[in-house]
Amino acid sequence: MIEVRGLTKEYTIVKKSPGLRGAIKGLFVRDYTVKRAVDDINFSINQGELVGYIGANGAGKSTTIKMLSGILTPSAGEVKVNGIIPYEQRKKNAQRIGAVFGQRTQLFWDIAVRESYSLLKHIYQIPDKQHKDTLDMFTEVLNLGPLLGTPVRQLSLGQKMRCELAAAFLHNPSIVYLDEPTIGLDVAVKTRIRAFIKEMNKLHQTTVLLTTHDMQDIEEICNRIIIIDEGKVLYDGSLASIKERFGQKRVIHFELELEGEFSLPDALQGKADVIAGEEEGKIGLSFSSGDVNAADVISAVLAEYRVRDLTIADPKIETIVHEIYERGV
Amino acid sequence: MRKYWELMKSQIKLDSAYSIWYWSGIVATMLRVFVIYSFWNAVYDHRVEVSNMPLNMMLTYVILAAMLSNYSAGVGYELANQVRDGNVAIELMRPYDLMHKLVALDLGMKITNSIRNTLPILILAFLFLGISLPHTWLMGLLSILSAIIGIFLGAQLDMIIGILAFWVFYIWGLRVLRNAVFLFFSGALLPISMFPEWLQTVSEFLPFQSIVYVPVAIYTGQIIGNDVYTSILLQLAWLVVVYTIIRLLWSFALRKVTIFGG
Amino acid sequence: MINRYARLYWEFFKMHVKVKMEYRVDFLIGILSVLLIQGTAIFFVAIVFQHIEALHGWTFYQILFIYGIAQTGRALEFAFFDNLWLLGQDYIRPGKFDRMLVRPINPLFHVLADKLQADGLGQGIIGLIVLITAMVNLPIEWGMGDLLLLALLIVSSGAIFMAVNLFFASLSFWIVDSIPIMGAVFTLSDFTRYPMTIYSKGVRFVLTWLIPYGFTAFYPATLFVENADFEKIGLLSPVVATIAVVIAYWLWKKGLKAFSSTGS
Repeated sequence: MIEVRGLTKEYTIVKKSPGLRGAIKGLFVRDYTVKRAVDDINFSINQGELVGYIGANGAGKSTTIKMLSGILTPSAGEVKVNGIIPYEQRKKNAQRIGAVFGQRTQLFWDIAVRESYSLLKHIYQIPDKQHKDTLDMFTEVLNLGPLLGTPVRQLSLGQKMRCELAAAFLHNPSIVYLDEPTIGLDVAVKTRIRAFIKEMNKLHQTTVLLTTHDMQDIEEICNRIIIIDEGKVLYDGSLASIKERFGQKRVIHFELELEGEFSLPDALQGKADVIAGEEEGKIGLSFSSGDVNAADVISAVLAEYRVRDLTIADPKIETIVHEIYERGV
Repeated sequence: MRKYWELMKSQIKLDSAYSIWYWSGIVATMLRVFVIYSFWNAVYDHRVEVSNMPLNMMLTYVILAAMLSNYSAGVGYELANQVRDGNVAIELMRPYDLMHKLVALDLGMKITNSIRNTLPILILAFLFLGISLPHTWLMGLLSILSAIIGIFLGAQLDMIIGILAFWVFYIWGLRVLRNAVFLFFSGALLPISMFPEWLQTVSEFLPFQSIVYVPVAIYTGQIIGNDVYTSILLQLAWLVVVYTIIRLLWSFALRKVTIFGG
Repeated sequence: MINRYARLYWEFFKMHVKVKMEYRVDFLIGILSVLLIQGTAIFFVAIVFQHIEALHGWTFYQILFIYGIAQTGRALEFAFFDNLWLLGQDYIRPGKFDRMLVRPINPLFHVLADKLQADGLGQGIIGLIVLITAMVNLPIEWGMGDLLLLALLIVSSGAIFMAVNLFFASLSFWIVDSIPIMGAVFTLSDFTRYPMTIYSKGVRFVLTWLIPYGFTAFYPATLFVENADFEKIGLLSPVVATIAVVIAYWLWKKGLKAFSSTGS
């Protein structure tokens, strides 16, 4: 349902020389640099998939989403969403997508949230009955009840984001693009938002493309991730398989009664690395399951130090992504 | 004194970036001057004098007055904004007198404006639109002195509006009222001496004509002789009165802030 | 299609009125302020006419008539199209324009519908007061046909004001914020308060054929006031308005295209 072939977006940036002289020179001679924000990307996403689109700032995430939603025209390559080309049939495409762009509101600032929804109903030509049913359901799942009568400008960040999310799903779009939907929110709100997204996906088979820096979002919502860096796709596949591939890297945290410095037991030399402790007496050891197993690491440490406590950390997608950035796939 | 000097300089630097705003502003001002010029030329069509003034005296008055009136507004708006968004509480904790700081910034802005905006346009007006020089050099100097007093007086009057923001929520409406009154009673549009008698009398009891009319009329020679000195003394008197009112209002406002937290 | 947009505009309109009613004092102050400022300008002309009988052959009420047409036309533009001023500053720069592009409606319509400038009502009231005062005091018999023609000319006037603003607002797609340019161009509309005969040929040419503010008031006024030599050209106002709107919308479309290839 989303088909992306050889998608490329280049920006030309005019180099400006500083000062008045530079400005005058700029009138006659112009130096351009070409920046390739998105570089030959290919992927396809099926109806009902929940895809995490991950990358560092400036990796090309937003540019891709802008091309998928019809805001930007690509320099090369092709996008098809529901069989139409979004930037050529913008309005037709818009009718079937929803979007949350980070902190930028899509609600109307001065009026009550309910009125914003009613205006959206007219913009998207949603039948009255459907609008009422959808809104009732959203009100319950997102707990919007007390917010509906309040103007947007009086809402807190978390309240606003809940309302934004409802607005994005209001016209029952087949695809929703979520650009950083949980940024700056507290845990309770995040949980509610994640549950809502999963619920909508289950009910309507809504396809969701999600960009986020919060790995918890990815782990809880997505069943597939696409990792992008410098405009290129680094990884595209299931969350489970990438965990398997990189997940052998594990970390055990020890809390020790130390007298003096900690040094790695001989048995673990070359097999585990010390992660510098954040606190006095706390030590982390990272190792690959291929080289040594967890039980051996623990017994080696126990043999030489008094251990007060220890925790074994699950492989986090965050560390995996970090590793992919550092070393490549 | 030193720190206000530095504040003023920083504002001058801030405003000095040449930009599309600057050029558009210049063009807009030139267009306005040109409309004024064309209008008054048409008024003098087949006439030598209007209200005892020959054309070049009138042109000199209306163009200089239009320029000078650009300097009558100032710090009040900034202060009102700070009161409204609560920043004033932070400003009050800083080691300077907020009133003086605002005046220093305003002065900085006006100095840059006079050099890069007003001066070039005045030179063009002298060259092409037939503005005359002051009728004597002494009067020219006195008119500059008078203009400076007038600018201070305008800024202080503006400040009153700003301070009222502590009590009045709809400060914006007050500003518009102020603008209309300023525009009319300061003599920015035409010499007060053209007003009907009764309006001239009303105007004499108001501080507004000290802002634009007095300095420009000294320049053109509509005010002459001993009247020049009495007019300037009157300007100074108004300045003292308005400054006293501001200090009083300000102390009330401060009490309000410190007691009720803004 | 037009029906759908008309209904949609009505929904936006109702919403704006509701908001305005919440801020009633602001609303009233806004209207009053426009009355005051326009009042000052008219007072100015009145005082000048205490000293002269006519300006280039135009009497006080004839000047008021020009002024009234300009103000009423401008009021239409002010009330419904004011958001164009903020295209760069409020939409393109902060990225809000992206949102307009993921909605299934025309983005220009959306930007315009986003704001209703209540002060336009104040402007309209004073425009009509001035216009009617002038009409009553001019030695003209006003028939039904004249009034309809006048109404058409006023609508054209509003459309010209709008088209000029749309044209220069569209530059924001390339330079992000064109407010200063719009402001400078808008200053030209000051010229239209007075008979165009007081300006030199060059100025008249610019205001007739390049930035057609001359058609917002002066040329239309000459259709009714007997002493002028421009009678026929005033009839062109609706044509000029149409052409201006078409050109402005063409530039908007081009701007939209440029925006979609560069982003903000």
